Amino acid sequence: MSATTKLTRMEARLFLREPISLFFGLIFPALLLYGLGSLFPGFTDPAAELNGARFIDVYAPVAIAFGTAMLGLSSLPPTLATYRQFGILRRLRTTPLHPARLLGAQMIVQGSVAVVSALAVVIVAAVAFDVPLPERALWFVISFLLTAASMFTTGLLIGSVTRTNQAAISIGMATWFPMLFFAGLWVPRAMMSSTLQRIADFTPLGAGVQAMSNAWFGSAPTALQIGVMVAYSVIVGLITVRAFRWE
Amino acid sequence: MAVIEVEALVKTYDQRNVVDGVSFTVDQGEIFGIVGPNGAGKTTIVESIEGLRRPDGGSIRVLGLEPIVDRLQLTQRVGAQLQESRLQDKVRVGEVLATYASFYRNPADWHELMDRFGLEGREQAKYGDLSGGQKQRLSAALALVGSPEIALLDELTTGLDPAARRSTWETVEQIRDSGVTVVLVTHYMDEAERLCDRIMVIVDGRDVTTGTPNELIAQAGFEHTLRFDPSVPIEDAIFSELPGVTGMRRNGGQITITGAGDVVYSVVLALAQGGVVARDLQIEQASLEDAYLALTSSNQEID
Repeated sequence: MSATTKLTRMEARLFLREPISLFFGLIFPALLLYGLGSLFPGFTDPAAELNGARFIDVYAPVAIAFGTAMLGLSSLPPTLATYRQFGILRRLRTTPLHPARLLGAQMIVQGSVAVVSALAVVIVAAVAFDVPLPERALWFVISFLLTAASMFTTGLLIGSVTRTNQAAISIGMATWFPMLFFAGLWVPRAMMSSTLQRIADFTPLGAGVQAMSNAWFGSAPTALQIGVMVAYSVIVGLITVRAFRWE
Repeated sequence: MAVIEVEALVKTYDQRNVVDGVSFTVDQGEIFGIVGPNGAGKTTIVESIEGLRRPDGGSIRVLGLEPIVDRLQLTQRVGAQLQESRLQDKVRVGEVLATYASFYRNPADWHELMDRFGLEGREQAKYGDLSGGQKQRLSAALALVGSPEIALLDELTTGLDPAARRSTWETVEQIRDSGVTVVLVTHYMDEAERLCDRIMVIVDGRDVTTGTPNELIAQAGFEHTLRFDPSVPIEDAIFSELPGVTGMRRNGGQITITGAGDVVYSVVLALAQGGVVARDLQIEQASLEDAYLALTSSNQEID
């Protein structure tokens, strides 16, 4: 087995040993959607304030965004900060394996969890609430991957500039909440003022939810939605490359 | 044969020379100690050898290679235990050893390393559940899992209780006995005296002196004293000719000899050759710590 495979397996096992991130990263988004759909009256009926759409249809992509942002912004940054704080990245630099492989392993592990968590949301939505499977499947996958890319590059950046686990958790959370707001977790986008909607359009998670929502219910994402996520991922990625410190 | 050659090494941070023209060589198979006060630049020297720091002046050759340029090649041949580095609390001893072993072309048998470092039966133990000594021994085992020719150990025993320190010393001796050259950074003089073949003293980024523990003690002007009753009468001349002897006194039947360097060895050898038994032999030796304190205080800049 190659060194990178072994390292990725070790990181995967370490992730599975953290019950809290496992619960919130893997199961919580589907559970959240199930809770909303089964506990709130009228959640699965067409709603006038959503122009006839059902709340459950609106919240399904939000739940996916919630899970992906959770992993990218609140699980990845403290992991990286801890690895730097503990000197694990520094130790790896004294071995033939470049520590970038450890970042790669983390991205693979957390990315895989994000995929499984998104699949769980799609399945719960379909089985419990008759939400159709994503109609434009390829666009849906692309939208999801771009959402994940923008969240994970942000997480890498936070993990790059914070020195301690605690700082990474705080900054991650401080980024996560406004991102989720514009994604429509507390107020669906259709119920936001036009100004808020406009701001949301230019946030990566707002664009991501809209892109996934479009693809889910049969239309292609707009150029703006895709463009915002691509631009955001590239810019944040470039800043991260410059800001990153191994120790 | 020198496996590490450092020549006039300079490393500057914020316009201050943290390492200021340090030169030394480490020979194959020895335990070479680097000692000095906190902040003297010991870790910077070791990290420069590891290729983690880019020197601002001077040259370093490790196994004939240049650490920054040939870093990838050197990582296959040099193992490092870093100061203040730890592992994930939930990682298991066996899995981290197996994973790190997979990074190398010729990994050591990590099961055998676990036995050698007193970690037998702890394969499934999580890092966070290990004792301080076990953590440090695992760290040393990780430094050796690539079958290196040189092991750089930075403050391996800091924070350990006396028993754990002793068992870690045995680990270091085992590393050397297996043919690996060891560079040991420490601020415990008893540790340096017990383990190191040669020691370099660093003060304020400069190499004050390098030598065997006895040479350092002699350099600091400390003398050893031997007192004994010879079993048969013995001439003064036998001792006054010996290397290192600086003084001799008789008090009744008792002889007191003072001297520096290898005086103890030469007196005992002379007695043995003359067939003389030294009754009630007492030896008072200055410790390396005495010498270290004298050497560092006389070389430290007064702020």
